[in-house]
Amino acid sequence: MSSASDFLREYLTVLILGGVGAALVGLLLGASHLLRPARRQPGKSLTYESGVDPVGTGWTQSQIRYYVFALLFVMFDVEAVFIFPWATRLEAYGGFGLVEMGIFVFILLLGLVYAWRKGVLKWV
Amino acid sequence: MPDFVAPTLDLHALAPEFVLAGVVCVLLLLDVVLLDRAKAIVGSIAGLGLLGSLVPILTLATSDHPTRTMFGGSYVVDSTSLLLKALFIVSAYVVVLLSTNYIGEGDYWESEYYTLLVSSVLGMTVMASARDLISIFVALELLSIPAYMLAAWSKRDGRSNEAGMKYYLMGVFASAILLYGMSLLYGWSGSTQLSEIGRAIGEKNSPAVTLGVVFVLVGFAFKVSAVPFHMWAPDTYEGAPTPVTAFLAVASKAAGFVALIQVIGQALVLRMNVMIPVVAVLAALSMTIGNLIALRQTNVIRMLAYSGIAQAGFMLAPFVASQYGGIDAIVIYLVLYAATNLGAFAVVMAIARRTRSAEISSFGGLFSYSPGLAVALSVFLASFVGIPPLGIWYGKLSVMRALIESQGRWATVLAIFVALNTAIAAYYYLNVAKTMWFDDAPEGESTPIKVPTSLRFAVGIALVATIALGVYPGPLTDAATPEATPAAAPSGR
Repeated sequence: MSSASDFLREYLTVLILGGVGAALVGLLLGASHLLRPARRQPGKSLTYESGVDPVGTGWTQSQIRYYVFALLFVMFDVEAVFIFPWATRLEAYGGFGLVEMGIFVFILLLGLVYAWRKGVLKWV
Repeated sequence: MPDFVAPTLDLHALAPEFVLAGVVCVLLLLDVVLLDRAKAIVGSIAGLGLLGSLVPILTLATSDHPTRTMFGGSYVVDSTSLLLKALFIVSAYVVVLLSTNYIGEGDYWESEYYTLLVSSVLGMTVMASARDLISIFVALELLSIPAYMLAAWSKRDGRSNEAGMKYYLMGVFASAILLYGMSLLYGWSGSTQLSEIGRAIGEKNSPAVTLGVVFVLVGFAFKVSAVPFHMWAPDTYEGAPTPVTAFLAVASKAAGFVALIQVIGQALVLRMNVMIPVVAVLAALSMTIGNLIALRQTNVIRMLAYSGIAQAGFMLAPFVASQYGGIDAIVIYLVLYAATNLGAFAVVMAIARRTRSAEISSFGGLFSYSPGLAVALSVFLASFVGIPPLGIWYGKLSVMRALIESQGRWATVLAIFVALNTAIAAYYYLNVAKTMWFDDAPEGESTPIKVPTSLRFAVGIALVATIALGVYPGPLTDAATPEATPAAAPSGR
């Protein structure tokens, strides 16, 4: 039955990891609960809004347009992340790199043109 | 810094992916240029594009060098991967056929729908060839992210939003677990290539390897909706638009299995002692629990979802017998399951167009007023049960043969589970058939259901595939069995 004990030993690792994970959560939350002072004041239970007194409730609607713009920003951010390293070694990558980067930029541009045609860029 | 050497691209081997990428760009450009006028043609262009990408697959399959290796062994095109690519593309074509009326008549965005569908298929074809953790992960995300959006495609239907949200959250959670496991495997072996990982973890064992293997398996178990990681599947399948459900249940699940096949077949074969218990437990649980819950379903789509979980169990089982033809059995089962399941979804959609519901009770007396659909659905249900000579019987045979030939303890237990569950499953599949044939039709149902041409065509393709591959499975077996050349051996660029 050595194979069975082998198998149990293998899975002991998984159990130990799970146990350590659970213990860590309990330890951190428990320790902070024990160590922190608890003096309740009405000001402390207000929604934190960077030091300013909050206006309205936490359930306010925000403009969905900000989200779309953030998405477009991420698109160009990612583009830059790939273009900068390529540009520093432009000659080494040669024609192959140029074609690859051309395809990459084309597909990203397609996304921008799509957003433009669907009226996302207009701030009505 | 070492000099950069441009990899030589085997354009022929990459042609299917290039065609699909081109189709995605063309669909997007059409939408951008024509706006609403594009709606009339996007469906046909997506369908033609998918058929077009089959051409290079056929030329590759008949060429002299069926096995081609690229990027230092990270990307392999061999007969099995060609078969799987063809499976994905044909499934997607059938889904396009299912979609044309459904998406056109409903309140849906059309151009984006097809664009996302084809990009998801692109991810699947890449997955079929990926032999590297990074390519596998990129392919997995490329196929999943469009699928998350498609699941929520009925924008104003709360249940569809719920479907997309559940699928998205569970999918991202699974990706995180998978990445954690992958990072452990990479950290131990120092390579992202599956064959190198296989060599490294075969030589020396460590607790990190066990953890890596378990996490990777759990990550993929989410994708193939194996119990106990299945809870998203029924809600997602019921809420998503029905063609998308068919796509998720067939193509997306198959892609998860393809990833498992690569990872297990190439990297984990030498750590079978770690892998077998996990996979065996997942398989046995999926089969049994999927079937038991399916017994109590009154909605056909939910029943198909739970039966899909049970079928995933049948497909997971042969991994235990990987060295005894188990992998081939999985590939065979995947193809037959895809044909049968797509057919079943097509018929259910055709019926639901009239009855506006997918409740089993609404199928009563279908044979009396729409005999063609009743016969077609009966064929698919009988194939699910595994009655020869219809499709899945051969898949079940291959699975059982692999399990019994391996003679391992786990494999034998699983073989018993497969046999028992096939019997349980027969009850609920045949119960639907009984309702169609023997129950009374609801009041006023006498005229046959009008089926649109595209749906007719989809049912036809699935019917032909289910019957033909069940009667004559020879070519399928040949394509699913890898040649003697070890695909794992990394060759030069």
